[in-house]
Amino acid sequence: MKHILPIVLALFGTAAQADCYADYKAKQDDPLRLQYGVAQINGACEIEAAANELAPRLEGAGWILLNIVSVFDENGLEERRDSAGENFLRF
Amino acid sequence: MQAKIFSASESLKAGNRVVVAGISAVVLVLVLAAVVLFANLPDANAFNARVEQLFIQNDDLTAQAELKLLEILAQSGTAFQDTLASYRFVIFVLFVFATALLIAAVAFLVMLIEMNRRMSKIERAGIEINSLVISRDQNTVTLNDFEFKLTEASIETLAVLAEARMDDEVMSGLQIEAVISGRDPSDCDEAAGATRIKRLRDTLGNQMISELLVKNIARRGYMLAIDKDVIRMT
Repeated sequence: MKHILPIVLALFGTAAQADCYADYKAKQDDPLRLQYGVAQINGACEIEAAANELAPRLEGAGWILLNIVSVFDENGLEERRDSAGENFLRF
Repeated sequence: MQAKIFSASESLKAGNRVVVAGISAVVLVLVLAAVVLFANLPDANAFNARVEQLFIQNDDLTAQAELKLLEILAQSGTAFQDTLASYRFVIFVLFVFATALLIAAVAFLVMLIEMNRRMSKIERAGIEINSLVISRDQNTVTLNDFEFKLTEASIETLAVLAEARMDDEVMSGLQIEAVISGRDPSDCDEAAGATRIKRLRDTLGNQMISELLVKNIARRGYMLAIDKDVIRMT
């Protein structure tokens, strides 16, 4: 057990220090489709920065970002997994 | 006294101006109304926008099922768009109808005014003779719908005058007498022709007045054949 922990830490290590996630709302027009999702943010862990980063990413997939609900670290991931469904860390 | 001059072409021009102005006013008003109406019709996308707003404002509407429900709501709104489009078309058609009807109404109004003007002119002109039929074998003359019985001599005089009128000629008493009697004008008397005219006027005038003005009601007496409202004593 003592040997595995460092490996696990090493595996997630790169992400660990800058782990930042945001849950967002997005839409598609004609017909209107709505999406609630969770995405990892690489830049600053702020709502505004997250919006600037996510909008082009979503647009590439044909979605329009409506708003960022919140930003959080990996502790908040699990509780949002169900709601986000297939959009959990999709973009 | 100067007579009032009515120029037919002038009144026609004024009438045309009124028609053009009226019709363009009608079209303008209806086009304005149509623009205002179409601009104020709810945007077909309003339903989607409302659902989207709902989605943004409520942070706890994040579960998959809730999103699906919102999408279905929006889709039913989208179905309503088609209804709105058909409403728009119906409104447009109704506007076209309304325009046509109002244009017709303006045209009829102008026609009515023109007709009334003409009617009052005719009423003032008194008896206007539209047809004159002379039947020599029955010694009758028919003016419009009135049939008058004349003597043979009077019919002869009237026929001669009618023929002269058709040739746009004016006849003197001498000529009338010459034509009717068949003698040479040098042998005829001006006074004889004048007498024929006087007899014609007497018989025809007498019958016309009795037909048009002083009526004889059988076994009861005489009455003026006019509307009592038009009588005025000064």
